[in-house]
Amino acid sequence: MKFKYTLGLIIFIALSMVYYKFNPEVYNFFPECPFHKLFNLDCPGCGSQRAIHSLLHGDIIQAANYNLLLVMSLPVLIIHFFFKVASYLTKEDHDLKIWYSPVTPKIIFTIVILFWIARNLPYQLFKYLAA
Amino acid sequence: MEDQQPQGQPPFGQQPFGQSRFGNHPGPAPKNWLVESILVTIFCCLPLGIAGIVNAANVNSKYAIGDYAGAQAASAAAAKWTKIGFFIGIGVYVLYFIFFFVLGLGGAMMSNYR
Repeated sequence: MKFKYTLGLIIFIALSMVYYKFNPEVYNFFPECPFHKLFNLDCPGCGSQRAIHSLLHGDIIQAANYNLLLVMSLPVLIIHFFFKVASYLTKEDHDLKIWYSPVTPKIIFTIVILFWIARNLPYQLFKYLAA
Repeated sequence: MEDQQPQGQPPFGQQPFGQSRFGNHPGPAPKNWLVESILVTIFCCLPLGIAGIVNAANVNSKYAIGDYAGAQAASAAAAKWTKIGFFIGIGVYVLYFIFFFVLGLGGAMMSNYR
């Protein structure tokens, strides 16, 4: 288990350095989303590589422009992993309980689907959501 | 469980199906893979992460009404879809790097990636 966490941390740091150094908008050795390649439509994850690059450079506005869903979910995920680490270190259960509420997955599902549809609509209002 | 019951009381048989109520669950909630499927949705794309979210919803709602077996089945399904999405995402990354570096496409570094 310890090995898994160490490996994950190393990969996380290495990827952060790659995404900090190279802008996916300019270099093409970053993989393209298969969904975008096939259907020429944006999926809920499209734009997250560029959004990560912008975030690592501190440009939250630009990151939200690439992928608003990623930027919105990051605070929740950070809080989640903070409590995960806290429970691992203290050997007590501090994990967030909201993930096990019956409504939480439904709300998340609705947000993701609405985001997916909205960012593919060809109206000026939704252009901000597109990748 | 049976040896914990007070003496003289007739032993209960198999607990009837669907008998457990709110706050009287036979075990802790099965892992619902919600966070993992959110990560797959955001970073690996494709509808596989969404299948994970749907199954996470099934885990939580079935556990809340006391259907522990159903919740465990939904948990297994959520794990399956999240892992498929995760490994397809990893596979796409690895294949892309292999094609790029092994097949020497490095000359085309500067292009407008979208």
